[in-house]
Amino acid sequence: MAGILDVPKPRINCSMLSRFINRAVCFVGRVEKVHPSGKMFTVVDGESKTATVELNEPLEEELSGVVEVIGMVSNKGDIMASTYNTLREDRGVPFDLELYNEALKVIHDFPQHYPFQVAASG
Amino acid sequence: MANLSAGAIEALANGSGWNEAVLQLVNIRRLDGGNGPARFRVMMSDGRHTLSSFMLSTQLNYMAEENILVPNCVCLLKRQVTNMLKDGRRVVIILEIQVLKPAEEVGGKIGDPTPYSDGQSKGQQPAPAPAPAPVPETRQPLQQQNRNEVNRNLNRDFMKKVPSALPDTPGGGSKVVPIASLNPYQSKWTIRARVTNKSSIRTWSNARGEGKLFSMEMVDESGEIRVTGFNQEVDKFFSLIEVGKVYYVSRGSLKIANKQYTSVKNDYEMTLNGESTVIPCEDSCDVPMVQCDFVSIGDLENREKDAIVDVIGVCRSVDEVTKLTTKSNREVSKRTLSLMDMSGKLVNVTLWGEEAEKFDGSGQPIVAIKGAKLSDYGGRSLSASFSSTMMINPDIPEAYKLRGWFDKEGHALEGQSLTEVRGGSGNYMENWKTLADVKSEHLGHGDKADYYSCIATIVFLRKENCLYQACPSQDCNKKVIDQQNGMFRCEKCDKEFPNFKYRLILSANIADYGDNQWVTCFQESAEAILGQNAAYLGQLKDSNESAFDEIFQHANFNTFVFRNRVKLETYNDESRIKATVMDVKPVDHREYSKRLIMNIRKLGAK
Repeated sequence: MAGILDVPKPRINCSMLSRFINRAVCFVGRVEKVHPSGKMFTVVDGESKTATVELNEPLEEELSGVVEVIGMVSNKGDIMASTYNTLREDRGVPFDLELYNEALKVIHDFPQHYPFQVAASG
Repeated sequence: MANLSAGAIEALANGSGWNEAVLQLVNIRRLDGGNGPARFRVMMSDGRHTLSSFMLSTQLNYMAEENILVPNCVCLLKRQVTNMLKDGRRVVIILEIQVLKPAEEVGGKIGDPTPYSDGQSKGQQPAPAPAPAPVPETRQPLQQQNRNEVNRNLNRDFMKKVPSALPDTPGGGSKVVPIASLNPYQSKWTIRARVTNKSSIRTWSNARGEGKLFSMEMVDESGEIRVTGFNQEVDKFFSLIEVGKVYYVSRGSLKIANKQYTSVKNDYEMTLNGESTVIPCEDSCDVPMVQCDFVSIGDLENREKDAIVDVIGVCRSVDEVTKLTTKSNREVSKRTLSLMDMSGKLVNVTLWGEEAEKFDGSGQPIVAIKGAKLSDYGGRSLSASFSSTMMINPDIPEAYKLRGWFDKEGHALEGQSLTEVRGGSGNYMENWKTLADVKSEHLGHGDKADYYSCIATIVFLRKENCLYQACPSQDCNKKVIDQQNGMFRCEKCDKEFPNFKYRLILSANIADYGDNQWVTCFQESAEAILGQNAAYLGQLKDSNESAFDEIFQHANFNTFVFRNRVKLETYNDESRIKATVMDVKPVDHREYSKRLIMNIRKLGAK
């Protein structure tokens, strides 16, 4: 776990979670529901599919908007977050999750041109 | 030798009809009666029989007047209407005819036709003499009166009950007539037609008084006509009429159309009067929607300026509504959209007034415009005037075909616009290039300047001589000559001033991943790049050189969307490409990403 920041973290969306079980990933989505315990929240991706993010520590802040989560994919397909970062949208340019999703698909469709990604088959 | 359609004369004469009959013209005779255009009466032969009761519709008069239709020529009768007279005889009105073989190639009468005698006429009519002798008693004005007699006895309800009865239904009497057969010499008729365009109510006020009017366009399977209503008829009919619905219209007045104001293809137009009736028709599915003769956008380049054309295309982009003031001090709304069709070409279309305000381009709808005016403004562009009809996602085969094409392949095409972008105003961006493309495609080497858009980063700004002292007059930017006595002279204004204004002319080197390019930026674009106005920069240059330098340092390595103009220019026998920045804008990363993804997908599909 400690080494998560040192390994490649492919950007994925919900439909790709099952192919990345037990691997480090980077997930960008919009926060939907925060569990009352503060240790879990759900995120929606650019295809309107939902994933669950689990945290080690309860949240210490109100979480909303678009977040980038780095973590491992559990056997259940949940994301065990090591760290997260909210993307500021207050500069007047909303983050276009659908467009992000299109870019994601390009990266996965042409892995030969995006060598900074480890191919899903790896 | 052309084969005549033997039997066609009999079929036409007894009302059973014949499609696309090939007939020989035996004789043609001009009938001058009353006021208005002459009518031409024609005798035709199918090689077996002759029939002299053909009439040329007035729209085709030119074919007789220009001697296209002359005795012995062989013709294809493309469209006709058979009208029945009171005494049971029929008149065949020729709506569309084509000469297959001119008379000189035919050489004479084909076969030995005998005059057809109508069984239904019960021998009232003596057999007309074969060759050029027309039947004496069937003069056109008389026929019309006969027909009117018949119609006068029919009440409106009866017409309503048999709406789809064709004009040539035997025995049923002719009630609904095709628009193409309307002329000023019949006063009793009914047309069944769809309203394709309806104006708003317009008012006028002049020396002779004031009033109001509205107009609409109606189509049926034979043709189209413009219909106008004034004053009382506005009150009576305006609210009743809905665009797209079908109506029976009868007893309007017909007059020669003023082609200046309309693109409707009819020699006549109709005015509604106190006698006129307009009745909605429910059973309307067989009446065509709008008759359009769509021109491919790619072919617009070959059309004459000011031509009136019908176009259909996918709305690729829409500008915001802008207001402008006309010469008569009226404020009008204006909106420009860009249409693309299967030719892969785009053209700008300008909408005006209410249509501009209401237009919703979301979802890239199919837009069909009937009667748009072609202009050569900025290459080629179109204008939808008040006589144009605009339809959004119309229910016509062309629209479905286009939608299918666009969804499958068209959306990935960037398309080439026939309309050039005007410098400065550009919220309209096409022709994306990389700097390497610009060189490899030799842009600017042609007769005309080329324009392109690119995303590039400032890598160097030439600080030296980027400011000049310009004439302080409002619209004059001419460089002034320092008289060295505190005065500055402008040659253009032929005046001396105690002051000047600073203006920018900035040389910049811009680069993208593949290449770089020297470009010249004038005032506005230079100010946008430097982030400061020219007056402030001039002040800094004279007072605080390090702050001035800092602005230039700061402006380096910023990325913008450039709209550039390139043209090969020759000075002293040396030719070089001159690139001028027309517009600089911050990068819209969303748009840029979309375009990159689209391009990647396009490359991936190859």
